[in-house]
Amino acid sequence: MKIHRFIAKLTLMASAMLIVAGCEQKKSDVAPQTSGGTSKKSEYTFAMVAKSQSNPVFQAARVGAEDAAADVGKKLGVKINILWRTPNEDDAQKQVENIEQLVLQGVDGISVSCSEAETLTPAINKAVDQGVAVACFDSDAPASKRFCYHGTDDVECGHIIMRELATVLGPGKHVVAIPGGNQNARNIQNRIKGALAEATNYPNLTIRGVYYSKEVPQDAAAKIEEVQTANPDIDGWAMIGSWSLFTDALLKWEPGKVKIVAMDALPAELPYLTKGVVQKLYAQQTYRWGVRSVELLADKVILEKKTANVMDYSELPPVTKDDVPQYEQNWKKWLRQ
Amino acid sequence: MAIEPGPEVPVKPGMGFRRSRFKETGLMGVLVALGMFLSIFGGSLPVTNRDTGEVVRVNKFLRADNLDKLAKNTSFFAIMAVGATFVIITGGIDLSVGAVYCLAAVCGAMFLNRFGPHGAGAGAPAFLVVPGALLVCLGAGALCGFINGLGVVGLRVHSFVITLGTMAIYRGIAFVMTKAQAFTDFPPAFTDGFVRREIHCYGASLYPVPLAIMIGVTAFAWWYLKHSVTGRHIFAVGGNEQASLFSGLPVNWVKVKVYTFSGLAAGIAAMIMLGYYGSASSDAGKGYELDVIAAAVVGGASLAGGRGTAWGALLGALIIQVINNGIIILNIDQNYSQIIIGTVIVLAVLLDRINNTLRERRMTRAPRP
Repeated sequence: MKIHRFIAKLTLMASAMLIVAGCEQKKSDVAPQTSGGTSKKSEYTFAMVAKSQSNPVFQAARVGAEDAAADVGKKLGVKINILWRTPNEDDAQKQVENIEQLVLQGVDGISVSCSEAETLTPAINKAVDQGVAVACFDSDAPASKRFCYHGTDDVECGHIIMRELATVLGPGKHVVAIPGGNQNARNIQNRIKGALAEATNYPNLTIRGVYYSKEVPQDAAAKIEEVQTANPDIDGWAMIGSWSLFTDALLKWEPGKVKIVAMDALPAELPYLTKGVVQKLYAQQTYRWGVRSVELLADKVILEKKTANVMDYSELPPVTKDDVPQYEQNWKKWLRQ
Repeated sequence: MAIEPGPEVPVKPGMGFRRSRFKETGLMGVLVALGMFLSIFGGSLPVTNRDTGEVVRVNKFLRADNLDKLAKNTSFFAIMAVGATFVIITGGIDLSVGAVYCLAAVCGAMFLNRFGPHGAGAGAPAFLVVPGALLVCLGAGALCGFINGLGVVGLRVHSFVITLGTMAIYRGIAFVMTKAQAFTDFPPAFTDGFVRREIHCYGASLYPVPLAIMIGVTAFAWWYLKHSVTGRHIFAVGGNEQASLFSGLPVNWVKVKVYTFSGLAAGIAAMIMLGYYGSASSDAGKGYELDVIAAAVVGGASLAGGRGTAWGALLGALIIQVINNGIIILNIDQNYSQIIIGTVIVLAVLLDRINNTLRERRMTRAPRP
């Protein structure tokens, strides 16, 4: 009996010690670096939480982050590790779980592209309260405590796409349609808002409608074909999201008959420019999303600099037929092919 | 103990034929009503005949181009719904159908990309590449279905659980294989030369291959369910599995066959998608499982098993697509589309059930001697 009691006491004591040690460890892991240069570490861990693994734009962002981690780390004389924690598919709840897990792991900073801002906001706030620096890229959570947003100005992007389409269409009466993607995605809704607002500046443009579909290439292409067939008078598409161009179904459209100005310049979209079916693309700086995320986190966490602009908008350079070879090369690098 | 024969019921000539012929009357009625509604209220538009250059006013819904797109959009879901109907008749469910479609498409896309204009095997003869791609798509789909069947039979776990697991596994494999990239650049012999082969009819460009494949698959499935021994076994297993087992039917083998057919159907749909859209990625077919099951159920398949038809599945898929098409033709705000589709699906099922109940009541009413 005595031996059993002794073993039980020993087990209890050992468990208590382990729990205390675990708590201490966790506390030290997540403790913010507060005391200026004296508490500088030699190794930092930043995490990237993108929307979906299956979207190539985020693969480019990942490569950008990894490249920047090596460059910035070398410059500052520290080692920067990148943890990639992105759900397989768009899932805000999974993103929240990942952020919570990353905070428990004791990462120094997180950069997140929010699938749904409202769902992510409490998790971001909790992470910030526990001393983890959080930035947003691509898709913002403006009501959260994130220190910065880097990415496209979505409302302005909608304006640019519609303005360019109006220019390409020229004078005369025109009917324009907008593919809408996911009705719940804030960035897409902001682009639609911008495009519709810009269209009011052109009385010769009639907006036939905003057509929503799954953000899956084949579904989006099927929707556009169906809309175009039912409305052959549509002669312009303001593609604030270009999922349909990831297929080659619209390549059979007669070049120039229906004018298209679209977002992004992904590898699958480039043949549309070459063939003249799409007049202009506007490339989001997807590789830069990763680079800038690391730079911003390094400034905030390692150098303890105050962020100059909370809204750090990236450029939206136009891509024409002449730029296709350059972009083909870029994508080889960005996708590590 | 001898069983006395019951009183003979006089059967009017042609009665059995009529019964089977009008099994989908309710669905046809819904479809015709929707078509008439869209033809009347959809309006018309001026269209230039590509051959003659003549401008004519055509009905927005009934114009050849629109019906062609409708048929093409229906073909993916209808073919998968026919396969899913086989599973549903046996009382099972296949949640992995969208993932099988995705994996089959990705396998086919990688094969076609290799033999595409810029692939390592560029220049390979079309008579090898096209059948090879068919074999890869259909083989991958059938293999996935076969694995589902083995899982259901071998592990004796409900198909819901097995196919829920394989759904994640197949999509995961597709993701790992593609590394999140879309595969394009296929040989034109497979796209423009086969699935996307264009014909000109009354000045319109039509793509009849998806429609032809859809009708072919549905007709074969109808014949198989109606006239083959295995077809009768499928209904028997779904009607009463225990009774089928005690009657000596190969219940396990029947189940493996239906899941394999469901996978094969997904492979055929994937093949059409590849040929028509010329690309595939790991997010292809996302959420299709529910659309496919909805089409099968609208088509009259009972989730309790023992009931369902191939033509019903096709009509179910067609009704859903006609509603989608109608929302565009009538220029209804897209924000309301889900509400409208859901409501019409419920109404269509309700009308079909009322029609079936009335029909069964008429059939069970014994004629007086």
